[in-house]
Amino acid sequence: MTASPPVAPVATPSVRESRPTPPTKSRRRVIRRPVRRSSTRAARRTRDYLLLIVLGILFVAPVYYLVVGSFKPAAEVLSGFAGFIPQHLSLENYRNVFASLSSDSTGYFLQFLGNSLLISVGIVGGGLIVNSMAAYSFARLTWRGRNGAFQFVVLLVIIPFEAVAVPLLYLLNPERNTLLVQILPFVANAFSVFLFYTFFLGLPKSVEEAARLDGLGAFGTFVRIVVPNSKPVFATVTILTFLTSWGQFLWPVLMVSDPTQRPLPLALSVFQSQQPVDWGAVFAFGTLLVLPVLVVFLLFQRYFVQSVAGSAVKG
Amino acid sequence: MANTKTKVKLTLLASDTYTTTVSSTPASKLPDVLEMDGPTLSNYVYNEKLAPLAQYVSSATLANATAGSLAEGTVAKKVYGLAMFDSALGIYGNKKLLDAAGIKYPTGLSDAWTADQFTADLGTLAAAHGGKALDIHEEYGLGGEWGSFAFSPILWSAGGGLITDNKSTGVMDSAASVKALNTLASWKPFIDSNADGKAFTGGRVALGWGGHWNYPDYSKALGADLVVMPLPNFGQGSKTGQGSWTWGIGAETKNGKAAGSFLDSLLNDKNVTAMTTANGAPPATKSALAMNTNYSPTGPLALFAEQLNKTCGNGPITTACVAVPRPVTPGYPVITSKFSSALSAIFGGADAAKSLGAAAKTIDQNYSDNSNYK
Amino acid sequence: MATVELRAASSARGTTTKVKKRKKFNSETLPGVLMASPALIGVIGFVALPFVVAIVLSFFNVRLNSVRPPIFFGIEQYVRLFTDPIYSVPFFRALVNNLSFAVVVVPVQTAIALALAILLNRKIRGIAFFRTLFFMPVVFPMALVTVLWRLILDRSDNGLLNSVVSFLTGGAVGAHDWLGSPTTAMGSVILLSIWQGVGFQMVIILAGLQEIPQERYEAAQLDRAGAWAQFRHVTVPGIRNTLIFVVLLTTILSFRVFDQVYILIRGAGLNQDATRTVLYQATVTIFDENNVGQAAAITVVFFIIVVALTLVQRRVLRQTSED
Repeated sequence: MTASPPVAPVATPSVRESRPTPPTKSRRRVIRRPVRRSSTRAARRTRDYLLLIVLGILFVAPVYYLVVGSFKPAAEVLSGFAGFIPQHLSLENYRNVFASLSSDSTGYFLQFLGNSLLISVGIVGGGLIVNSMAAYSFARLTWRGRNGAFQFVVLLVIIPFEAVAVPLLYLLNPERNTLLVQILPFVANAFSVFLFYTFFLGLPKSVEEAARLDGLGAFGTFVRIVVPNSKPVFATVTILTFLTSWGQFLWPVLMVSDPTQRPLPLALSVFQSQQPVDWGAVFAFGTLLVLPVLVVFLLFQRYFVQSVAGSAVKG
Repeated sequence: MANTKTKVKLTLLASDTYTTTVSSTPASKLPDVLEMDGPTLSNYVYNEKLAPLAQYVSSATLANATAGSLAEGTVAKKVYGLAMFDSALGIYGNKKLLDAAGIKYPTGLSDAWTADQFTADLGTLAAAHGGKALDIHEEYGLGGEWGSFAFSPILWSAGGGLITDNKSTGVMDSAASVKALNTLASWKPFIDSNADGKAFTGGRVALGWGGHWNYPDYSKALGADLVVMPLPNFGQGSKTGQGSWTWGIGAETKNGKAAGSFLDSLLNDKNVTAMTTANGAPPATKSALAMNTNYSPTGPLALFAEQLNKTCGNGPITTACVAVPRPVTPGYPVITSKFSSALSAIFGGADAAKSLGAAAKTIDQNYSDNSNYK
Repeated sequence: MATVELRAASSARGTTTKVKKRKKFNSETLPGVLMASPALIGVIGFVALPFVVAIVLSFFNVRLNSVRPPIFFGIEQYVRLFTDPIYSVPFFRALVNNLSFAVVVVPVQTAIALALAILLNRKIRGIAFFRTLFFMPVVFPMALVTVLWRLILDRSDNGLLNSVVSFLTGGAVGAHDWLGSPTTAMGSVILLSIWQGVGFQMVIILAGLQEIPQERYEAAQLDRAGAWAQFRHVTVPGIRNTLIFVVLLTTILSFRVFDQVYILIRGAGLNQDATRTVLYQATVTIFDENNVGQAAAITVVFFIIVVALTLVQRRVLRQTSED
């Protein structure tokens, strides 16, 4: 209970002060005090739980709507409260997703999934290697131009991708409709370099120096000593990069017109714009789109939360 | 569409992005054979992305194309595109609901609704039946090609239009055009948003502003209760859209002969009939049209056939003609996007004169930036 | 605040490595450059270079993939953007929309995140469960969030929100066109954006709250500080840096709004005038008009605004945090 919120205990002293009581009653007050305290605590806790539950319902309602709708007949998805009632459930919508996405002209669901996975793995994997190496070089190695180069990278943190999307489209248009063009621009990432950099600075130097004295080169030290000791920052960067790459939308909209090269979010937006629209199937598609992330999130949610929090605390 | 000799890569594009793809795919990356919405063909030709078809397809195929198909696929007297089917647009009615509300509805082009009568009837229908009366397929997105295709006819019918002689100002934002779109916007309270696509088939509304492709579903759902009617007359006679997706051959194709014979077989009676049976469209080849029972003078879609017969072609829009092709110009992508987004804004409550005026000026600026696409 | 720490960090480094600097210079140059170059090449090629190209393109009348060559246009694109009503009116409208999005989202989302974080910063049973609930929408891609909320906000009687409103008011309030009406369109976009994003900020603030030493609250209690006083004098100062970071992050993110607006305008009748953002404007300028020069000019202006805002905000926040 020590970490419990401060408001409850405070109430009692202030009451005590505002009502100077004759000494005869002081005894009774001492007895009453813990009672009052625990009752306000209980009341507070009830209130907190109520608040949490109401807010929780509000937050989860759309998710529930999505998941339940994905098992309901299409006609019931958009029909007011009926969309909330888990009845007439079947896998029909999921079958329809696969059935209606079954030619080169529509693309295939598994293909979208594969594209998204490849793109995310490419961006995350490539990014971890490239950005951590650069950060280590900036943080620990001494070379001419290092400070300038690092300041330059930090400067680029401020340029949002959206600000270069138009010229990139112009430059890379001949390469449109490939997976590579969906991966390469996002591998090197100034913000990731920055996150790695601040983490590496905080590592104790002694172990690295010992390794260097033992004859390990800069790269060897990085791979064998630094990387194994930097799991938290690798986890942070992995999660943050994965979330953005998995949800990527603007760039695919600009760059991908070939159905076979679409990642999931773009495919979803195309799927929901096809006529006649089948909301049940759209919800099934949506559920499938978020399911992998959701499962990973629920399994490792502690790390997600730490990563996000860490990105701020570090920054 | 089986063809044993040729393997063709076919790409269908989502309706809200296809004009984009048109303008942004390099010619060398285009497939051998491609299908595009008719009005965008001119832009393809302008950007040298299409080959003239005469050198690849047989003369019989060319001769069998309907006037509509040729009008849509011809730029500077050369044919670049041939269509399997044309399109039609009208108002579907649910006879039972119309009769229940005591609505007198048109039986043909001659007694088409006037805009005012249509507005009044929407009110009556909505009052009689659950507050909504009309479906205009909002779920297709009024801000996309559907908006241009479905609602430029009311501009023409009012005496306005999209563009004349490479100039949109004074046409798209003319008083007639503004009035027509204001009328459309005034219908919004009676329009079902149709997010589930079932407003008409489910009996929520009595009237549906729709295309030929709705016919198979609608006739299945309503049977004998389905009536097909012309769009309302805004003053210059009822008008409707025409033109649809058309097939062309990529300018840099290395398989021109194979692509040509693919189109020959694609446009034979068997394939065209299979296609039009599935989507309810009027065939765009003379022989398949002659065999089609839906569009025969006694068929259920005789009205659509009549509309297409009375085409305005690329000539002036008079009170006598009915079907109007969308403008054949390389600037069509900018026309349609500016018009449809203005339409969608007006439908959402924006000022019609201002929105259309801005759209028209942007289009004119685009034409002048591109030297009128000469 | 990032740069503050950086500067401190690198100067601290400087003093410690000074002695060995000369000796290590040669042996570390090669690995140093090799290790840094992939990322450097990446950010130069995909961020810096395109940015320069954007500036160049904005001086041309240029189309994507056109057979006609680009024509030098001088500052025409900028002149149009700021003075020609057919471009400046929609552009300024987009800027205003971005601003109003930011003006609402930054305080509201930060406040909600703070409230949730305080609520969750308790050792009561099931807190981890609730934290998971509130954070969950963060892992939802915006495209999915948009498609989902599009149905919730549908303007028919069958829209979920409309049914809820009608149920709560006993049918007195009829269906409302949340997305189409100019008064609620931006509110709808804001609502779904906050739903998706607030968990992110919440977690950051929560981490900040947990860093506050419990003794400070105990001391405040000894001083007989009330709940509000504790919040003002212990909680807020304790997470000031975190709050600054969150405000900064939310502001920048709110200027990058695109996905939800694009999907809703294109497919769900979202009121464009009320919601079109600068990025949407740039995209449409390419898609609809194939006018790359104009889009590049919009991009450049967008960038200048974002950077200027970031710098101003950093300065203001840094001053207040030093008070």
